[in-house]
Amino acid sequence: MNLILQPVMVDTGEEGEACLVFAEGWLVAVLVRLSDNHAGAEGFWFLEKGFGRLDCPDPPSFSDLECAQQWIREHLEIHRPPRWPGDQGHT
Amino acid sequence: MSAPSQSLAEHDRLIAKLESIGTLTLEERAAIKALPLRVRQIAEDTDIVRDGDTPTESCLLVEGFLCRYKMLPDGGRQILAIHTAGDIPDLQSLQLKVMDHSLGSLTPCKVAFISHAALHDITRAHPGVMALFWRDTLIDAAIFREWLTGVGRRSAHQRIAHLICEIHLRLKVVGLTDDDGFELPITQAELADALGLSTVHVNRVLQDLRRDGLIASRGKFLAVTDWRRLEQAGGFDPRYLHVR
Repeated sequence: MNLILQPVMVDTGEEGEACLVFAEGWLVAVLVRLSDNHAGAEGFWFLEKGFGRLDCPDPPSFSDLECAQQWIREHLEIHRPPRWPGDQGHT
Repeated sequence: MSAPSQSLAEHDRLIAKLESIGTLTLEERAAIKALPLRVRQIAEDTDIVRDGDTPTESCLLVEGFLCRYKMLPDGGRQILAIHTAGDIPDLQSLQLKVMDHSLGSLTPCKVAFISHAALHDITRAHPGVMALFWRDTLIDAAIFREWLTGVGRRSAHQRIAHLICEIHLRLKVVGLTDDDGFELPITQAELADALGLSTVHVNRVLQDLRRDGLIASRGKFLAVTDWRRLEQAGGFDPRYLHVR
């Protein structure tokens, strides 16, 4: 699955470094880089908002963007909706 | 400054709690003082009773913090209630024989177990004590209603401010607050599990509340530095706690 990350600034009251995550052209998540305020998790990428299948009550943080993308791919593949452009439904 | 009364004997802790929500006669106080207790020290993060258990005694919290919680199949935990000294969190097992949730320690705790037989005896002999246990159970339900409202409709800021107000007041009525604050040795992950938030959001909001001058932390001591604004931030109305 092709993921595209687009850097943005998000107003969380912290430093703001973030990225939008697109899967097959659909916005699926917003990841925010945690500031030094989060002892032990500073620099981690927090799933600030997941859409659809990525919407979870206790969103995780990832040590780097590679880990974040792997988690996103795994969760999207579990129940891939048959509505994305070019999709033929479940395979 | 009035020092927190950490050293109240086990029976006095229960009496202080019941007298914060009602009145006890001399006879009723004497009957409570005569309750046989089995006192234990419990380490933090220890289960006292678990979902599905059929306990034959209930647990009076003497020192520390307990929580009631439910586990989900995916390993997630929802903390349903935080309990403070003087509470009997599993009093309901006197009537509801099978636990439908678990009770565990958030911090090291001193607890005193009271047999159901002894609780049945005192409530039969002293209807006033039974009425106060019933009143306490109804207040417990009122707190649940307030928490449900918070999880469903309050923002992260409001939920955290509201919970700090609630715990502060509940500790205050049993004499466990300093003039300006209280010991709150509860982790951000535990607050997150209680409030339906992520630890990231809990951390952000606590830092906001500190920065805005509503609270201050010194180790495990949480000082409320602007009670009026904290109440406003949480939309806190203490009526649901029904303190005297």
